[in-house]
Amino acid sequence: MPETNLLECQNLTMNFGGLTAVANLSFYLKKQELVGLIGPNGAGKTTVFNMLTGVYTPTEGTISLNEETISGLSPNKITQKGIARTFQNIRLFNELSVLDNIRIAFHGRCSYPLIHSLFLTPKFYREEKAMEDGAYELLSLLRLEHRLNDKAKNLSYGEMRRLEIARALATGPKILLLDEPAAGMNPQETEELTGLIAKIREKFDLTIFLIEHDMSLVMKLCERIMVLDYGILIANGSPEEIQKNKRVIEAYLGEEV
Amino acid sequence: MAQQSKEKINWDGYLTLAGAILLVLVNVLLISGKMPAYYRGILGFVGINIILAVSLNLINGITGQFSLGHAGFMAIGAYVSALISIHLKWPLYLALICGGLAAAFLGIVIGLPTLRLKGDYLAIATLGMGEIIRVVLLNLDITKGARGLTGIPRTTSIYLVELVAFITIIFMVNLMRSTHGRALLSIREDEIAAEAMGINVTYYKVFAFAAGAFFAGVAGGLFAHLMGYIAPKNFDFMRSIEILVMVVLGGLGSITGSVIATIVLTILPEALRGFAEYRMVLYSALLIVIMLFRPQGLMGTRELQIEEVRKIFSGGGDKDARD
Repeated sequence: MPETNLLECQNLTMNFGGLTAVANLSFYLKKQELVGLIGPNGAGKTTVFNMLTGVYTPTEGTISLNEETISGLSPNKITQKGIARTFQNIRLFNELSVLDNIRIAFHGRCSYPLIHSLFLTPKFYREEKAMEDGAYELLSLLRLEHRLNDKAKNLSYGEMRRLEIARALATGPKILLLDEPAAGMNPQETEELTGLIAKIREKFDLTIFLIEHDMSLVMKLCERIMVLDYGILIANGSPEEIQKNKRVIEAYLGEEV
Repeated sequence: MAQQSKEKINWDGYLTLAGAILLVLVNVLLISGKMPAYYRGILGFVGINIILAVSLNLINGITGQFSLGHAGFMAIGAYVSALISIHLKWPLYLALICGGLAAAFLGIVIGLPTLRLKGDYLAIATLGMGEIIRVVLLNLDITKGARGLTGIPRTTSIYLVELVAFITIIFMVNLMRSTHGRALLSIREDEIAAEAMGINVTYYKVFAFAAGAFFAGVAGGLFAHLMGYIAPKNFDFMRSIEILVMVVLGGLGSITGSVIATIVLTILPEALRGFAEYRMVLYSALLIVIMLFRPQGLMGTRELQIEEVRKIFSGGGDKDARD
């Protein structure tokens, strides 16, 4: 095989009681790919993210990362294996500083046993310094370095979105899941974000999988788009193919009368 | 900017300085033997309450898990260490550590199933746990039931209480400077986001419960060996509430806040003795007034730091941007 798939999902199904949110979904993500997931409201997009990150265990099907099964693991384990996410409704640590928000995300990467912090060993200082340096680097990349000591809740909306991305990057992911990163942004901010996403993919060698309703961003950025409707994958292809796809147009605009 | 910093008085710095001077004065008095026994007694309670409040702050204020069972953990530590001292005649420090470990073990056993609960539900479950412990102590033979346990060697010295309080505070301060402390804070802020950032939420919640319970257990042991007599009524629901009030008044999440509030609230009822029957009315009224004007507690989530004192002497230099 010339190219292996970084992430491979097979026959994923998620039932909530009688409701099937996602049905028999199979897809893959290749290394360094930038893939968009679109679909009408309630199509099950966020449910897919929640399955990938371990918030939900799929009712059926398997998820494997680098040929290792990760479905059924707890969210924190999956994050440490290399899948990080941002949230649709921003979930920052509001009362903590911007710096602390980032440092918390470094937890899994350079963690030392508790005893080192109690006795302030050299290892403690070394690892804390590494975390801090890493945090500064990410914050300057996302143009948040001037807000270092501000509480997360005092940031502007755009800054909060950027901090969420910075925090996800701090976990050292292989795959970054962005849940509606441009929601609530004006066209200019969306434009900036588009550039930013492309930039971080280059810099961190990332695979990015994003949910977005802003079609200008999706069409411009994504190499491949998957369309979900009522929990079923109805299309999978390049932006041009998706724009012409009859089923996609039907899902969004309804059938012709 | 410069003008602003001149006008603003560095209260944190002066408070820290005043605290340090007070601590030295109290100890000079103590060592010189000029302190009346009555004051020494109060000082002992202040120290024990500091250990209790700071350890409860770890669970309630820092990790955000609302626990009402702290007196229960204290009771376990008190009884286990007292029984060890009476029957096995082990040295005090071993008895204290065993008492602390027994409380920590109970914290884990009770913690694991109840940690799925949140907010009010967790509060009620821990309240139930505290009451179960009290009722069990009331009915066991070895604890002598409601008559209480007598003949505990009174080996706790004020210095030992001070030392343990100091160790507890250092433990907390160093913990909060580390990634482990921040992990606890992240659980308070947003559990789902904390998990998504790779933090093992269950582990850290149980850790907070176990560590908090350990120090509460040690405080219980100190209390038992200070009084020489313990009974289940020393560890009832009101005791948990008393500790909780100290934590809330000081500011949930602030270690120095807990310490200040504990000192004030332990000394206040004694200082108000002159008002005889109006004592508790005044005490309660004061609580209401403080909560009205500072609902976030005396310190909020801030901490007093030695660093602030240096600024007073160096003339309030500009704050480093990174600090």
